[in-house]
Amino acid sequence: MNAQTLVIIAGLVLLAAVIGSLIFLRGYSGKFTFDTKNGTRPKASEGEGNTSGLAYKGRFTMLTAGVGVMFGAILAKLWSMQMVRGDYYEDLSVQNRTRTVTTAAPRGRILDRNGVELVRNRALLAVTAYSDLVDDPVLVRHLSNVLGMPYAAVRRNIRDNTEGAQAQHTIATDVRRSTIAYIQEHAGEFEGVTVVDRTEREYPYGTLACHVLGYTGTITAEQLEAQDSEERDEGSIVYETGDIVGQAGVEAQYESLLQGVRGEQTVTVDAAGNVTGQVGEVPPRSGTDIRLTLDVNIQRACEEGLAYAISISKQFGYNEAGNGAMLCLDCTNGEILGMASTPTYDPSVFIGGISNDAWSQLNGEESGNPLLNRAIGGQYMSASTIKPLSALAGLEYGVYSSTRTTTCTGYWTGDGEAYGKWCWDHSGHGVMTLEDGIIYSCDPVFYDIGHDFFYDKDNPEGLQEMFRRWGLGSTTGVDLPSEQAGRVPDAAWKKEYFSDYSDEDRTWNPGDMSNIVIGQGDLLVTPLQMACAYMGIANGGKEYTPHVFLSALARDGEGGDSYRYNETGSKERLTAEVDSAYLDLVHSGLKRMIYEESATLAAHFSSLPVTVAGKSGTGEKAGQDPYGWFITYAPYENPKYVVCGVLEQGGFGGSSTVYGVRDVLGQIYNAPDSMSPTDSDRSM
Amino acid sequence: MASSSAGSLKKVNKQMSTAKGGLRSQVHLGVLIAWVGLVTFGTLVMWSASFTNPEVSFPRHLLGIAIGVAVAVVMWNIDFSNLANMSTVLLVVDIIVIFLPYVPGLSYNAMGMTGWIQIPFIHLTFQPVELAKVITVFFMASIGAQYHGKIDSFRDYLKFCGMLAVPFVCIIIQGDLGSSLVVFFSGAVTIMMSGARKEWVLSTIAVIIGLVSLILATDSIIDGIVGDANSLIKSYQMNRLLVFLDPEADTSGAGYNLQQSLIAVGSGGFFGKGIGHATQSSYGFLPESHTDFVFALLCETFGFAGALVLLALFAFLLFSVIRIAIKCESLFFRLVCVGFVGLWMFQIFENIGMCIGLMPITGIPLPFISFGSSSMIVQCIIIGIVESIWRRRQATL
Repeated sequence: MNAQTLVIIAGLVLLAAVIGSLIFLRGYSGKFTFDTKNGTRPKASEGEGNTSGLAYKGRFTMLTAGVGVMFGAILAKLWSMQMVRGDYYEDLSVQNRTRTVTTAAPRGRILDRNGVELVRNRALLAVTAYSDLVDDPVLVRHLSNVLGMPYAAVRRNIRDNTEGAQAQHTIATDVRRSTIAYIQEHAGEFEGVTVVDRTEREYPYGTLACHVLGYTGTITAEQLEAQDSEERDEGSIVYETGDIVGQAGVEAQYESLLQGVRGEQTVTVDAAGNVTGQVGEVPPRSGTDIRLTLDVNIQRACEEGLAYAISISKQFGYNEAGNGAMLCLDCTNGEILGMASTPTYDPSVFIGGISNDAWSQLNGEESGNPLLNRAIGGQYMSASTIKPLSALAGLEYGVYSSTRTTTCTGYWTGDGEAYGKWCWDHSGHGVMTLEDGIIYSCDPVFYDIGHDFFYDKDNPEGLQEMFRRWGLGSTTGVDLPSEQAGRVPDAAWKKEYFSDYSDEDRTWNPGDMSNIVIGQGDLLVTPLQMACAYMGIANGGKEYTPHVFLSALARDGEGGDSYRYNETGSKERLTAEVDSAYLDLVHSGLKRMIYEESATLAAHFSSLPVTVAGKSGTGEKAGQDPYGWFITYAPYENPKYVVCGVLEQGGFGGSSTVYGVRDVLGQIYNAPDSMSPTDSDRSM
Repeated sequence: MASSSAGSLKKVNKQMSTAKGGLRSQVHLGVLIAWVGLVTFGTLVMWSASFTNPEVSFPRHLLGIAIGVAVAVVMWNIDFSNLANMSTVLLVVDIIVIFLPYVPGLSYNAMGMTGWIQIPFIHLTFQPVELAKVITVFFMASIGAQYHGKIDSFRDYLKFCGMLAVPFVCIIIQGDLGSSLVVFFSGAVTIMMSGARKEWVLSTIAVIIGLVSLILATDSIIDGIVGDANSLIKSYQMNRLLVFLDPEADTSGAGYNLQQSLIAVGSGGFFGKGIGHATQSSYGFLPESHTDFVFALLCETFGFAGALVLLALFAFLLFSVIRIAIKCESLFFRLVCVGFVGLWMFQIFENIGMCIGLMPITGIPLPFISFGSSSMIVQCIIIGIVESIWRRRQATL
């Protein structure tokens, strides 16, 4: 028995009840009538009967009033809705039928100094959905088939909240046009699935300059919070979850220039959410294109030179060689022309989110920490490349005059027989002046300087003071993130650093001086700091702030600059105040080092059309192969370029790193090195 | 008596044909103008809706009007005074009509609609309850007329109320709460106009309010015993009531329709968005925009100005019919007119009221405007009856 049957039965029962009651009423009144007066016939079709016209008039007045009140109520309500609150409802109706869709703005491109694209953008299509799509396993399965992705991966991407819980979650990027067309043609089957335009970073030169350029990634929760806490200028970019921002290198440093301003599209939709038209658009404003000081050819020469030097090191048996840095800067203005660091990484792995495995691999010890830009973040002992500064300290503080000599026997016992020290050349250099000491990198000359500073009443830390005067121990201020400051050790530092040790072990002693005066021990410098120090030597003491940013391109598309690096401010970082005669001595010593120290070394450089000055260095670290340095500047007469290289565990600087440095100079002066490398130079 | 009334009819016809003013005396111009105005306005609204709403068939609307006009002319030519003595027949016919959808072979159920019949062979679908409203008005008037304008006995009053309860309950059983309320309100107006004493009416209203409250309060218990489908108040009806009381409570479910209707009405402003620009209805935000929520569509398209025109036409119609009732010498005709006034009052107030949040949502069409031939034809029948009454206003004695 269904409900309908029940209702019919109920209806019949009711009908019976009515008929029954009518019969009952009839029995009561004798015969059935609707009339009030027994026995009289109905007079329904007759006139007003016994009721006065006045009574009716009153009732009709009531009825008319009732109708009036009804219309009055409707009118009053309509008035309040349409006339008084019309705008409110108009807004609601607009909200109903319009949706605002943000359109991503392309980031600015990054060019080299000559306008060669180092980073550009590529347009692609992505498939997105809200997280509740995961509740529809059939659709997720269908989507995974269409996209050719594993079901689990589609599920994971839909649920991934890194772009924000309420935002559309990216399921797949760079989806093929044919797949997109299929999804759009079958929009009914893919309800809740959206196709969006994206742009993505593209690196035409692959890993070239990856450490300078950096990479982009989804804005982190910390970065979003930082944005909320700091005060913003009018018109500055407001980030949202899911935005792609620079996370390293120039991408991070010049984020505010490179980031574009999102566009907004206002579209009309119907009740089912289908877009029916577009009513307004604020086009996205792409980020500013920027030009770097890098020259793509010199950058490539730095990277290839570094790779070549590593291969030479390996050839000479230094199998641990592989990590290092090479940089070239313009010493007349501080512009960085090339900056290489190995190992490299591919910045494109960060596009669309990097996997956990890839991220941990990039940060692992075994991979050599490829994300580290060793040119600014690698801290090494400077080795003998510090000797020009040590010489200047000795001269400037009157500790070691230009005419004083030291007799090198190969073993120096200035601090007593118990504390004897070897020169790198155990056979001894003989009688050495200070300039000879620079040329031949003779250690006893500098041991004497260190010894005399240690016992100098007036300037016991004059050596460290001189190092700092040239910018060691502090960051250079280069416009790249994560620069390290290095370390210039002194008595106070040692006491603090070794606070867990006995007082005796924490005390600054002559041996510490002997170490740092030849760039060993606890001294730490970055390759960029050393390059800057040599820029100062080449410039008579003046160091410019090194930088990679050259200019922001104007938006007119004609390649003009809207502004250049530090247009109004001073480009000068510091000027080391040193007597010019002393500088000339060092300057000369560095040139003669290249051409006089060894014939084989000189042969490599004599094929260049310019005169070069420079210094090798070899850092010794217990249990490891030597760290090879080589720093040069050229032309000697009117210096323009500084090239600085360091190789971790690459062997002697004069037999490994030098070949990379020489190749960079060869690229600059178009004079390739015709000599084959030798392992003969063992100077430190 | 039958011969006497037949004789008087002849006399009237003779009078009419010789009366001054000719047609003017046979057709009430006010009702005619209001009717033509309403049907024209409704046609304009349907025409504008037909561009975007695939459910609106403009030709079908015109067909409904054509049938309605034809039937109205037929009605105009019929003398209904004899119905005054046929209360029992009217009641039986009324009940039969109400339960027509349950007759096998006639019932028509499509897309969850109930209460429809399909007339065999010509495949015309029809909602009998619309016709039942008219019959009920006649039925109530035929009873009320017997009291000569004054109900002195409480027993008579109760009997009268009991008579109204029969079609009312039948329509509820048939499953159309909205129509049953229309019949109830119309009948109540008839009872009051028949001369029921005020204190009785007021105490009856009090009892009804008490009963309704009791039913609503115990609805969840009743649901538990007999199931929601068989209970007097269905859960969707309960939701509509709750949403009416608090429109913001649920904007996705039952409250969605009301919210969208309010937006449609309010966003119309003074002059409306114009034909083809009514976004709420044409993009599907406003459901049932051509039937139950047609007033919201009208307000969105034609604004406050359009609503004003519509309300003026309705008011003109109602006041004209009240005027006819006053002029009528026959108590039966007078009460028939009053019944129709009550019927229209409730339908207009309920339909417009639900669109603007004054009344809970029920599925009642707006007379002459809503899409749907059943309603259109029956409303035209009422116009024909009213004009017939006007024609025979003096034909009583």
